[in-house]
Amino acid sequence: MTEPLTATEKTSDNPILWVAKPMVTAARQFARSLLHPSTVVYPFERLEDPKFRTEVGIESGKPIGVGPIWDNYRGVHALNIDTCISCNLCAFSCPDLCIDMVTVPGGDPKHPKKCPQIDYGKCSYCGFCSDACPEGCLSMTTRYELSVHSRREMVFPPEKLFGIYQQKLPMNPIRVERPANEDRIVLEPPLCIGCNACSRDCPTNCITMMEIPKPEAKPGEKLPKRIWKEPVINDSDCVRCGTCISVCPKECLFWGSRK
Amino acid sequence: MSSLSLYGVSFDLVHLLLTSIGSVLPYPLDAWITNGTLVLVLSVLVFAAILLAASMINTIVLIWWERKLLGRFMDRRGAMHVGYAGLLQNFADGLKLFRKHTFKPAEADTLGFFSGPTAYMVTSMILFGVLPISTGWNSGSLPLSLLLALAIFSFAPLFIFVSAWSSNNKYSLMGGMRSAAQMIAYEVPLLLAVVAVVIVSGSFDLTTIVTEQQNYWFWGPLFLALVVFVAGMLAEMERIPFDLPEAEAELVEGWNTEYGGMLFAFFMLADYLRGLVGSFLVVLLFLGGWTMPSWVPGALTNFPLAGIFWFLVKTYLVFGLFVWIRASLPRVRTDQLLRVGWNRMIPLSLAAVFLAAALVTVKCLPVFGCLPSPGV
Ligand code: SF4
Ligand code: SF4
Ligand code: SF4
Repeated sequence: MTEPLTATEKTSDNPILWVAKPMVTAARQFARSLLHPSTVVYPFERLEDPKFRTEVGIESGKPIGVGPIWDNYRGVHALNIDTCISCNLCAFSCPDLCIDMVTVPGGDPKHPKKCPQIDYGKCSYCGFCSDACPEGCLSMTTRYELSVHSRREMVFPPEKLFGIYQQKLPMNPIRVERPANEDRIVLEPPLCIGCNACSRDCPTNCITMMEIPKPEAKPGEKLPKRIWKEPVINDSDCVRCGTCISVCPKECLFWGSRK
Repeated sequence: MSSLSLYGVSFDLVHLLLTSIGSVLPYPLDAWITNGTLVLVLSVLVFAAILLAASMINTIVLIWWERKLLGRFMDRRGAMHVGYAGLLQNFADGLKLFRKHTFKPAEADTLGFFSGPTAYMVTSMILFGVLPISTGWNSGSLPLSLLLALAIFSFAPLFIFVSAWSSNNKYSLMGGMRSAAQMIAYEVPLLLAVVAVVIVSGSFDLTTIVTEQQNYWFWGPLFLALVVFVAGMLAEMERIPFDLPEAEAELVEGWNTEYGGMLFAFFMLADYLRGLVGSFLVVLLFLGGWTMPSWVPGALTNFPLAGIFWFLVKTYLVFGLFVWIRASLPRVRTDQLLRVGWNRMIPLSLAAVFLAAALVTVKCLPVFGCLPSPGV
């Protein structure tokens, strides 16, 4: 035998309270919203407009995210083609593999100039590429409006990124700085196999593979199988791009200091 | 004054047009074209077209008004982009619905499914035509226009029920049942509140009721009747807090669940048209219709079409009150709704009737002045 379900309710409720009070609350909200609706009419008004700076600025104590865009916002990239040294570091550091190095006019036929082309369909705006760029020529701006009509348009070639650079948007100033005393490429000679990879990929051709004397094999000892050459780096030409470190198959190149 | 009715104007227009066309036509044609029957038929059509345009434009602007007000109540802005402040947004929405494919569920009853919304729409339109808006905008003087309007107003539950039942959907049917129960429960207090007005004004003619309010509007002395009338109107229009028939949270969309495209637009338009007519009735019965109190400077009341202007201003303010109520109050339960209807509203409306009778007997009130000519 189950009890029938009955709705229980407070019968002492005063009609003034449950009609008049909500209506007064709504009217107060209406009056407030008539002057300052919370909605920002987005394409025509933006939170970064000066008129919102005072209202939702940092001073107001509101949580981060409702204020104007911050300077370290990671938006679309700006690329300065002129100073790019085609070092590949951005493409290497990209976790989403969205950077392709494509040829741009301006290089010599033997060493075509290659600059990053970014596929925003994949980019996660992590900023690793701009951290890695040794020249500071790839950095992230505060622009966040990137919608396009097709996937193909999401791929921004270097020229387009250069166009964004030319608009002089506020840029994200944060880059990992290398310690001042560790700005040389150092080689751990016993590991090197003389493969020529660093010399081949160096954008400034400052690595020369120098012959080293082939040691005499002691009896019973087997000499390592390698080319008897070692990279010698011309520090005055080196642009500290780090490409050689990245391409070295034996990981024998490091950042360090040489006296 | 009544010669200046809307129908009279359209008759004159058509007559003028046809006689000027007829004057340049050769013999057998001009006699045919100036023939009285043609003038009559055409002027009825013109009259209907004017009514249709006026009601549709008003309805759509009313939807805009609700969206904007509700937006501010909810700390939004409402429609913004199409036209000035989104004024044309609803025309765009209407066009979209108009272009949509109209279909009916396989098991639905064809006749009921299609005739329900159409009849609902048509009766709401007729309602718009019956109500006078100013001394110039009326459909002639009908001695019982108030009764006629309320009679047409109470057609709605029938058509809602027909379309709900023929949709062959349990949610529609439940919505239709609720709608019928609710409308019948609230019809009684609504009519009793109207009786209070009729007692004081002594007439069933809406034009007379308005002219009776020249000296003081009825909302003050008949405040109780106004409260009952507004509550009843909310229930009749199925607006929040009395929108149980289409309670989205429990009944999908209530009795219009199965409707899409233009048929849905019919329901939507007719709903708001009834909202408009409900606000019209409140203005006509309690807020002095197109008259303005004598302390209002003459410059504000003497321009052409001033009557229509002030009438519409009042109407939109009254509808704003409905929107305000919608923004504030939660939906009630069916049992609460019916209990309030039968147990509270009817006693309240009876009290309003007695108050009105007392008012007519006393004839003068300290604040509101004296009745101009005590009615019957
Ligand atoms: S890391 Fe910088 S310099 Fe190197 S290729 Fe990329 S953009 Fe050019
Ligand atoms: S921001 Fe990150 S994901 Fe985007 S291109 Fe740079 S490294 Fe790749
Ligand atoms: S030697 Fe210098 S310029 Fe060449 S790849 Fe290494 S870091 Fe880059």
